[in-house]
Formats: sequence, structure tokens, C-alpha cells
Amino acid sequence: MTAEATTASRRRLVQVYALYLLAALVFFGPVLFMLWSAFRRNVDITGSIFTIATPLTLENFTNLFDRFVFYYYIRNSFIVAGGSTLLGLALGVPAAYVIVRRGAASIGFLMLLARMAPGVLFVLPLFILSVQVGAPSNNGLNFALLIAAHLIITLPLCIWLLVPFFEDIPLSLEEAAMLDGCTVWQRFRHVVVPLALPGLSVAVTLSFVFSWNYFLFALALANADTLPLPVIAFNFIGQGSSDYGGLMAASTLISLPALLLTVFAQRWLVRGLTGGAVK
Amino acid sequence: MTTRTRAAAPPAAPPPAPSPSRRRRGDGATPVARGVWPLLAPAMAVTVALVVLPVLYTVWLSLSDRRRDGTNAGFVGLDNFARMVQSPEFWNSVRVTLVLFVVCLLVETVLGIALGYLLSIDVPGRKVFQGLMLIPAITASVAVALVWMLIYDPTLGAANQILTAVGLDPVVWLGDPDIALWSIAIVDVWQWTPFMALIIAAGIRSLPAEPFEAASIDGASGWRKARHVGLPLLMPVISVAMLLRTVDLVRFFDTVYIMTQGGPVDATNTLNVYGYRAAFIDQEASYAAALQLSLLLLVVIMAGGFTLWRRRRNSDR
Repeated sequence: MTAEATTASRRRLVQVYALYLLAALVFFGPVLFMLWSAFRRNVDITGSIFTIATPLTLENFTNLFDRFVFYYYIRNSFIVAGGSTLLGLALGVPAAYVIVRRGAASIGFLMLLARMAPGVLFVLPLFILSVQVGAPSNNGLNFALLIAAHLIITLPLCIWLLVPFFEDIPLSLEEAAMLDGCTVWQRFRHVVVPLALPGLSVAVTLSFVFSWNYFLFALALANADTLPLPVIAFNFIGQGSSDYGGLMAASTLISLPALLLTVFAQRWLVRGLTGGAVK
Repeated sequence: MTTRTRAAAPPAAPPPAPSPSRRRRGDGATPVARGVWPLLAPAMAVTVALVVLPVLYTVWLSLSDRRRDGTNAGFVGLDNFARMVQSPEFWNSVRVTLVLFVVCLLVETVLGIALGYLLSIDVPGRKVFQGLMLIPAITASVAVALVWMLIYDPTLGAANQILTAVGLDPVVWLGDPDIALWSIAIVDVWQWTPFMALIIAAGIRSLPAEPFEAASIDGASGWRKARHVGLPLLMPVISVAMLLRTVDLVRFFDTVYIMTQGGPVDATNTLNVYGYRAAFIDQEASYAAALQLSLLLLVVIMAGGFTLWRRRRNSDR
């Protein structure tokens, strides 16, 4: 297959690039359209899409910050995504290590279940809990609850991402450390973690982005002061659906971490998203 | 036996977590055989607290009668489930969920194989293009939903502008009960086909060359080689990709909820949107709990059925 492909003739090359162009049009089109619309005036967005030459403006973005205190929602998103990523990592790294070395199949299965289970399933119990502990009227508690809820996403994701990295670490290195008298914790800290650093960075970035993007938990659990970006953008629809410029600017801001990640860390991303199904 | 066969299947590192670990269990004493509990316990405790307890609580909710004022009138047996199976809305939502699932999975698989083949061809710039193909999948679904709402806007949207430009009639994408579900399926297909393609492309690139050479010697045409040699060899990879999509499709919530909230007239009311609305709009916690457990059951049936199917396929080979 590969041999056949490397000898691709010039004609085949042209065919492939033509199909690339078509695929790019279809699959990047809407995202580019979003970015483009974020910088256009509302009059132009609602006009003909075939009129390319319209003035570009930063108005949509400045409006978000002037009228809707967007700093605030960005900060909220950072608190929730950052907090749940750090916690997910702190809990997930040792767990993934044990799963790989010890073969704790049952906890691995539990994690898989957590990854598969529909978020809707957790929202109702968490909501009832949040009301009982008074989280809707206490910002600190509410943030804690949101971070905990997002752990449902980040913890299984961290483990899922790290297992293939830990599997690649040769056992002999650890055996050597053990002969030198290291405890489990020392081996983990000084041998395993440094070797798995690439995997850790994958886990950090992907957990952060997934948590940042996640909509459902905050929709149900956040109070007015702890709302993160995705929910505030959704709330926009009700307020003035004609403000497409504002919506697209907000969408652009929400998408920023993911877009940066795709541009800078493609290879990790492929491996991370498919959980080792693709090497 | 089955575990062994599965672990041996070359390109498919299967996503169900147990298999890689089970493989190691036979190795006997590894250097970390003792003293691992402190490393594992916190993650386990959190998982139990955040995953197991909520599910158990949902079970209790579904068997009791929680009122809107927060009081619970206690155990009512299967009343909520009885109400559920007698409700036409419930069966409608099951139908909508399954239609969306089947349509999206099939279309994404077929298109994914085609696009995956394209992405597997070695040309300069392939890797960059392949990586960028993940943009739809990783973009926040809120942003995806919002931009598609703009595209679908009945009077100003890009979709209808393109349709009228080529001489077709405009379509009420999200407002027409007969069309809304397909409009949403288009978004999911758009978002996830490249993801399928990427997994399949990697599978194609790892195929051995010999079977194809043998088929060429036997005089097989390119199409016949793809159909009778390539596709069977690719099945493990395709099924991994389908499993990953199955899991996510059943959870599919954001896009539907943002774009239509289940409307118009319940046309896009998937089981999880219905469950969410029952809980947070109608505020019927106990009934919502029953709905959400039925969703969990659906997930388990689908994932279980799929795992069995894969296992049988793989052990047949």
C-alpha cells in the first residue's frame, strides 16, 4: 500500500490535492466562516455571503468585553478547567501507573464506564446535592462543585491518555531502581514521571480543552457569577439572536484553546483523541 | 481465549481498558506488586463518589417520588418506569435517538472510509492536513452549534443562500419537524467524519503489502483488491472507530440542546435532551431519573453489543 503510494505520479498528486481542497472547503469552511463572521459587522453577516469585500471590525469583540464583562466569564472558565485539570492529573497519574503495572482491571473498567456514561446522568444528583449544600448562593462552593463535576471528564481522560505512555516505559528501569532500594513512591516520582513527561503534557492540554469546552454541567450547576464561557454564549441566543457578530466573536473565544492546540500539537491530538487506537 | 485473540489482533489496540492490563497480570510479580494502594485509592474514591454514588442515587430517585418542593414522598416502586413506557414522548425520544445514531454512524463510517483512504495517500503536506482535519472534532460543541445556527438561518443563512444561488428552494433547516433531525445529523457528520477518517487512515497505512501483491498477481483490479482484501483487513480498525463514535453519539447532547432544545414538536427530542428537560424544565426529578437510567441502559446495550460483535469478528479471523 505505502509502496504504491510513494510512487504516486504527478497526475495522482493533482487529484489528491484537488480532493484535499474539497475536503478543506467542507470541513474547515464552517470554522473559517465563524472566524470571518466574528470580524464582520452585523449588517454584513446578515447580507450575502458572496460579498467578500466588506470592512472588518473588532467591534464584536470589544462589545463582549464592554457590555458583557467577558473577562469575568473567561476567568471562570480558567478556574473550572484549570482546577479540574490539575485535580484530574493529581489523581489520574498515579492511578494510570498502577493500572498499567499492577493490572487493576476493575478500576480500569470503572474509568471506561465514567468516560462512556452520558453526562445527563450525573447532572441531576449533582444538582440536588448542590442545592442541599447551598452551592447556588455561594460562589466558592459553586466553583468547587463545578470543578468536581468536571473531574468526571478529566479524570478518566487523563487515565485513558496516560496508560499507553506508561506501557511504553520499560520495566527494567524500574527494576534497577528497586535494586537500589527505592520505594514505590520514589520509583514513581524519579523514574516513571520524568519518562512520561510527554504523556503528561498531552493529558494536561487535552483535559484542559475538554473541560473548557464542556457545556452540560455548567448549564445545570453554575450560578450567575460562576458561569463559564460556553454557557454564557448559549445565554446570548435568548437575549438577541440577531447579534450574530457577538455570537461568532464569543464562539471564536471559546474555540481559541482548541484551535491553538490543533495548530501546535496535532500529533499528540491524534493519539490522545483515539486513545492509542492510532499510533 | 477470546482475550488472547483480541490482544493479538495487530492494528487494533482496543479501547476497552481491561485488555492491556489483563495481559500484564500473567507476568507474575512486577516490581510494583506491593504498596500501590496509596497511589490508586484517591482516584478510586473520587470515581466512586462522582460516578457510582450519583448513579445509585439516580436509581433511588427513579424508584421514589421526589416533589418539586424538594421533599421526597418515598418509595413508589416502578411507577416512574410505568409512566415512562406508557408515554408516547418516551418512545418518540427512543426512536429519535436511534435514528440519529444509526444515520450518523453509517454515514460517518462510509464517508470516513473514503476520506481515510484519501488521508492515507503519501503526498507532501499530508501530515499537516491530517492534523488540521481534527479542527471540527475538537472545536467546542457550543461554537459548532452556534455557527451552524447561523448557517441554517432560514432567511439570512449561508446554507439557503447557496441553495438559492444554484436554483433550489430554500429550506427551513431547524424549524421544520420533518427536516430538523437531518439538519442536526449533518452537523454531527460534519464534526466527526474526519475523526473516523483519521483512525481509518492510520489503519490503512499499517496494512501489510503482501496480500495486495498476491491479489495483484492473481489479476485482481484495484476495486476488487480494496473490497476483498483491504476492507476485511481493516475491519478491526473500523470497528474501533465505530465503537468510539457509538459511545459519543449516545451521549450527544450539546449540539441538539443548543440548536433546537428538542423541538420543533419533539422532532429532535433525543433521550438525553428529554431527560434533561424533564429534570430542569418540567422539574420532575423522579421521572427524569427513570429516563436517564433508560439512557444508561441503552448505552450499555449498544456498547456491549458492539464489543460482542467485535470479539466475534476478531476471533473469526
